[in-house]
Amino acid sequence: MTEDIIKIENMVKVYANGEIQVKALKSINLTIQKGEFVSIMGSSGSGKSTLMNILGCLDRPTEGHYYLEGIDVREKSDNELSAVRNKKIGFVFQSFNLISRTSALKNVELPMVYGRIDADERHERALELLRRVNLENRADHMPNELSGGQRQRVAIARALANQPQIILADEPTGNLDSESSVEIMDIFTIFTKLNRENGNTVIIVTHERDIAEFTDRIITFRDGQILTDERLRTKEVIPC
Amino acid sequence: MLIFENILLALTAIRSNKMRSFLTMLGIIIGISSVIAITSIGASAKGVVGKEFESYGMNNMYLYVNWAMTPDGVDYEDLFTPEDIEALAARYPDDIQYIAPSISSSSKTKIGRTEGKLNMTGVAADYNKYKNMKMLHGRMINKSDVDGQKDRIVIDKKAALYFFNNENPVGKTLGVVINEEMKDLTIVGVYEIEASIFDGMRASDSYSTYVPYPILEYSDPATSYLELYTNEKKNQNDLGTEFSQYLSRIKGKDPQFYTFESAESQMGTINNILGTLSIAIGAIAAISLVVGGIGIMNIMLVSVTERTREIGIRKSLGARTSDILMQFLIESMIISAIGGIIGTGLGVGIAAIGMSFAHISVVIQPSVILLAVGFSAIVGVFFGLYPARKAAKLDPIEALRYE
Ligand SMILES: Nc1ncnc2c1ncn2[C@@H]1O[C@H](COP(=O)(O)OP(=O)(O)OP(=O)(O)O)[C@@H](O)[C@H]1O
Ligand SMILES: [Mg+2]
Repeated sequence: MTEDIIKIENMVKVYANGEIQVKALKSINLTIQKGEFVSIMGSSGSGKSTLMNILGCLDRPTEGHYYLEGIDVREKSDNELSAVRNKKIGFVFQSFNLISRTSALKNVELPMVYGRIDADERHERALELLRRVNLENRADHMPNELSGGQRQRVAIARALANQPQIILADEPTGNLDSESSVEIMDIFTIFTKLNRENGNTVIIVTHERDIAEFTDRIITFRDGQILTDERLRTKEVIPC
Repeated sequence: MLIFENILLALTAIRSNKMRSFLTMLGIIIGISSVIAITSIGASAKGVVGKEFESYGMNNMYLYVNWAMTPDGVDYEDLFTPEDIEALAARYPDDIQYIAPSISSSSKTKIGRTEGKLNMTGVAADYNKYKNMKMLHGRMINKSDVDGQKDRIVIDKKAALYFFNNENPVGKTLGVVINEEMKDLTIVGVYEIEASIFDGMRASDSYSTYVPYPILEYSDPATSYLELYTNEKKNQNDLGTEFSQYLSRIKGKDPQFYTFESAESQMGTINNILGTLSIAIGAIAAISLVVGGIGIMNIMLVSVTERTREIGIRKSLGARTSDILMQFLIESMIISAIGGIIGTGLGVGIAAIGMSFAHISVVIQPSVILLAVGFSAIVGVFFGLYPARKAAKLDPIEALRYE
């Protein structure tokens, strides 16, 4: 038995800036099962981030449906969407999006603050998360005192704070020097482990074919549409 | 609600932008400090005025011809005669403790080479029982001095010091001129009266003294002013009205022909003036609080715009609309409450300094302070509401895209 954790039907996204309308997504259909490790590729402007933002409940589709765990997100109230962002989805941005005047530790604590977890437990868990991304000795550093790769690892620790099932990462290494390949590999190792060891559903946007090949499924976008959807490995389905 | 987290967050935000936070608070600081200073000064002044009148006796009263009723001047028959005084005293034996014509005169005097001016107030017997004064030596003018029209005088401590150094002057005489007649007055007592805020306003070159009132009278003893001490348990206004109407009746005049002024009504008038002043200046202070509130709103709007991205990040991590609303509301509330606290301190300081010039101890009303800080927090909430709502309603993706 597998579960369609994400199901998208005839999704259209139109950006309307005054007179000009940009059709960023043109009727997308897509199903992702719980525990899948998916990469999304495609040229610049093909609609990858647009899709990710909708999957992350940061944005809403213009048309069509997005079923998350079988429930149409259209039906959800504002507070319910906040709860989805808080508990069900961990979003990793290309530009890290850390809060600048706040320490690494406090940044990691933030989703737990909004999840109403009490201060002591929050602190404990944030430290543990930083340990998992090998940054326990940077807990009190401000974001501007960290390297790009370290910042992104703090952001990943933050995304994992409330143990969400789904991890969405939009070009997580896009802001790193291509020379810092060790940093880049570190970050992909974290995502791979999350999927392989933790059973998280992981969706990564990347421009690198060799990185995408670590994942089980590569979806290619072109011009707001899915061009190809290739499965590299079929996951051995654990019977339940 | 995340109250605690939001308070910490607000304090961090305020601290990381100290100068701006201070300037934001300035309007509130000015508003609150002026409210506190003005109400404290008002309350202190009220307290002092009350004490001042108490030293005169709150049952002190003057009866006199209502000048407004006699546009052509007062006729001789309209003045109070000794018979009128007796009739009034006999009619209200329980309500009149003391009654005498209010007459005074001043004269130069000389002891050896020391020259000075005396201000002589005519009194009946036992005046010191009613007016709050202390006898240091000898006695006050008594019944036999008054009935016998004796040349007696009671002088003030300062006069005693001036003319006789520290010697006890009782028994000594002072030469004065009363109604163009030379008289030697024998000193029978020295008194002391508590320092008054009005001391400075009086002519400092003349010394206050008391003499039996008959010696100040001309050959015909009719007067236009009567000084009374009344039954303090009764309403002074009612008594004054009754007395003046009785006098009008026995002298065959309109009921309003005679009138009165009581210590109580004077104090009421002064308190009214102080009250009106406080309200007027309080209104100005309230306006400055509103201006301060608008200042807070302005800065909070700037702050929301500057932190749009941060708001987007918070929302992407699961902050609810109400969480963001609380964050900014608490921030503006804390800014204005801190402004309120600083303003309170400043206001108390200003009042204390101002009052110390007048040698008055400052009266601080805790209720006013509570009200001021509470009110400034309310100003913070009220003017913070619009920016906070603006922040809270931001769309997560729009906010994240903001550069
Ligand atoms: N807020 C917006 N308003 C208008 N048009 C937009 C907006 N965001 C994206 N677009 C347009 O939508 C299209 C898809 O953009 P999207 O950001 O999803 O591309 P992408 O595949 O993520 O590209 P990249 O690889 O460069 O990140 C592009 O043509 C882009 O110009
Ligand atoms: Mg993109």
